[in-house]
Amino acid sequence: MNDRIVFENVSKFYGEVLGVNRVSFSIPPGITTLVGPNGSGKTTLMNLMTGLVQPSSGQISVLGIGPGDADAFFRMVGYCAQFDSFPRGLTGYQFLFDSLMLHGMADYDAFRLASEALERVRLTEAAGRRIAAYSKGMRQKIRLAQAIAHHPRVLVLDEPLNGLDPMARAESLALFEELGRQGMHLIISSHILDEVDRISDRVILITGGYLIAEGNIHQVRQEVRDKPMQVLVRCDKPELLASRMFSVNHCVEARLHGDGKGVFLRTADIDEFYRLLNDVAIEGLVKIEAVAPADDNANAIYNYLIGSDGGAS
Amino acid sequence: MSVYKHDYRAYSGRVTPIWARIGVLVRYGLAEALSSKITIGLFLAALIPFIVLLIQVYLANNPAARLLVSRNGLSWLEINSEYFLRALQLQCWFALPLMSWVAPRLITYDLADSALPILLSHPVSRFGYVLGKFIALFVSLASVTLLPCLVLFVYQCYFAPPGWTSANLSIAAGIVVGGTIWITLLSMLGLAFSSWVKWRTLATGVIFAAIFVPAGVGGIVTAVLRTKWGSLLNLPVMMTQLWQRLLGVPEMVRTGSDWSLPSTAILIMLLAACLVCVAMLNARIRAREVVRG
Amino acid sequence: MAANANALTNHLKQQPWGLWWLQARRLTRIEVRRNLLSWRAIWIYFLAFIPALIILIHAVFERRDRFAISDDTMVLAGIVQFYYIRLGIFFGSLGIFSRLIRGEMVERSLHYYLLSPVRREILLLAKFAAGSFSAVLLFGSALIASFALMYLPYGAVGHDFVFNGPGMSQLEAYLAIVFLACLGYGSVFLLLSMIFRNPMPAAMLVLGWEAVNPVLPSILQKISVASYLRHLMPVSVPGDGIFALLTVETEPVPGWVAALGLLLLIAVVLAYSCYRIRRLEIRYTTD
Repeated sequence: MNDRIVFENVSKFYGEVLGVNRVSFSIPPGITTLVGPNGSGKTTLMNLMTGLVQPSSGQISVLGIGPGDADAFFRMVGYCAQFDSFPRGLTGYQFLFDSLMLHGMADYDAFRLASEALERVRLTEAAGRRIAAYSKGMRQKIRLAQAIAHHPRVLVLDEPLNGLDPMARAESLALFEELGRQGMHLIISSHILDEVDRISDRVILITGGYLIAEGNIHQVRQEVRDKPMQVLVRCDKPELLASRMFSVNHCVEARLHGDGKGVFLRTADIDEFYRLLNDVAIEGLVKIEAVAPADDNANAIYNYLIGSDGGAS
Repeated sequence: MSVYKHDYRAYSGRVTPIWARIGVLVRYGLAEALSSKITIGLFLAALIPFIVLLIQVYLANNPAARLLVSRNGLSWLEINSEYFLRALQLQCWFALPLMSWVAPRLITYDLADSALPILLSHPVSRFGYVLGKFIALFVSLASVTLLPCLVLFVYQCYFAPPGWTSANLSIAAGIVVGGTIWITLLSMLGLAFSSWVKWRTLATGVIFAAIFVPAGVGGIVTAVLRTKWGSLLNLPVMMTQLWQRLLGVPEMVRTGSDWSLPSTAILIMLLAACLVCVAMLNARIRAREVVRG
Repeated sequence: MAANANALTNHLKQQPWGLWWLQARRLTRIEVRRNLLSWRAIWIYFLAFIPALIILIHAVFERRDRFAISDDTMVLAGIVQFYYIRLGIFFGSLGIFSRLIRGEMVERSLHYYLLSPVRREILLLAKFAAGSFSAVLLFGSALIASFALMYLPYGAVGHDFVFNGPGMSQLEAYLAIVFLACLGYGSVFLLLSMIFRNPMPAAMLVLGWEAVNPVLPSILQKISVASYLRHLMPVSVPGDGIFALLTVETEPVPGWVAALGLLLLIAVVLAYSCYRIRRLEIRYTTD
């Protein structure tokens, strides 16, 4: 399909060291986040996707084009790598302008696009200064500007929020959401799971070079059957609700909320749980104020599937 | 929350003397140098001429070998000051590729990885840091220059007739002084140029260029300006003349001209080179780096 | 076979040559700006122009009647053969060309080029062109300056030697030597910088190889830049002592054959480099 990024059975070995092993997925337009511990293979996947490394085996195609066709491929792909390094002696503007000139566009168009990209990342005022004198956050922004300047259809971002202050981070996330809405493919790797939750349409979990899970966060969570789902119920009589719910087999854990006005309940059968909760609400024994999944998020999925030691669980 | 407990205490136990801390740098420097297979290869390659020279000393003092040679009308190898000059030259020039490989490993990794602020925040001064690296490099180079040449001398003394040793002690002294001057200069050059270029990949080339390009420039000065003083930029020529004088070997005189440089001038030039290296190290070995925008 | 030739011709016609030429030009301009017009290039200026500076001192401070023009011609030939070919252009090209790929790997900035819509072969050839332009411009200018300063003080005699005598043809030969030396060494060092993580030890081996090449068999002499250039020298310079090794000419070969042979060597090296860069991966390390 020509609107997808497809990996078919891709492996990459660096000598005897495993990068990624037999990874297969298909990414539609929207925001997809790569999640995994350090050294899991996220950057390797991104480098494979953008042709900076070649796979030891398997096939890769991005919107129907392989990385070997540099002219067509890199017009539609932009990559903001994690390397915090730049060609020496360049100002921010020169860095963008030189990059755009290599696309073969006219001088005026390159100037216009460079200015536009600088404006988008709020670096217009610092564009005339050398990149060597930029702060970490500014360097991150100029890398992002370089990746988006030529209006790619696929944007690959390796930890793009590193070094950004909260305001800049919020601006970048807003930019990513806007680009995702416009139909662009955004592949983002991040450790900041709260933000992954907020903006991602899909998540790819990877650890030790192996793909652990792929898909919509909620779908992934539902498929993690060996970890009962946790639900937070806010009510006026949490102890009573806990004892009522705990009487059935599928409810395996109950824990009162710290403020005493709610209870965390774990259940192995979420559908049955909600049915029973409805019955409790109809009975009128407990006044239920709110019901929300407590672990239907990236953080929980990460902990369940990858765990705190970084290995697949 | 107010701080009302003060349990933290700085370390107040025994501390090692300053020389021991420098010794740590020497130890790690040698370990870093020897961790490369190419270093081991260069050490072994430097041993090959030494072994050949050792065999020559044995044969030169062997009556059966002498008889065989004289029967065939060949001239015999004399173990004298010229022989030791050749040995010293061979071993000293083998030290050059070894230095150009080892010196960058000692300094450029620390510079490229921004480790200097970490190292210099310990109770080791910049001088101590450089001294530690210098000693590591000096020891490495001495093992392929001074040591083999002195072993050859001792080996010859073992075979030589009585009185030879006392009559030729000046050769041993010449080897020690000449070899020390050379490896001191090489070590300073290696450390200085390695500190100046941040990349190890470039440092080896820069070190070779720093020795041979001035020699070429010196040759141009000599040829264009018709003067012998251009040779003061030519390290190979200067060292050859210095070694010849230290070992008491008569200098070859080029026909129709006097190309011999005064020893004072050679030593001043070598000292100036060392001082320039010290200035380079002083400029580069710092705990901070200024980036100008 | 005719069908295959037609298919190949059609395939070649369909390639975006105009775009490639535009990209190559722009890339070359970017690289020349970085190579030539930065303060970091000062050491190359020194390497190139130091002989000219020394000759300037000679021109200004020394009495011309002490020297014969033939002596100075020999000195200039020696400068080209022993300094420029063996040291100046060698180390200058080493610095320029090894920075183009390996230097950018060390600086961790090469991936920006590999992520641009430029064919890797175009990238490599444009970088080579930029390095060659920088090296030829610097060393060519320096050679012209040295030549001019050497004969200018001779006044009318010098003018006559240059324009009515063998001087101009010697200058043309020297410029051809500088041009071919820059391209020859440049292609070798560019390839070495892609094969080895640290190309310097290999480069020093090349230095040694070039020195001992005259005593090697004829077939091995074909794999040496300096051996081709020796045949192009308009003035033969007798070497002294160990330098005699550098001036040995075993088989006399016409100049155009030597030039063609070196250009062929350069083309082969570049072709292999183009093959290598297609497989180049970005794996930055701390080296």
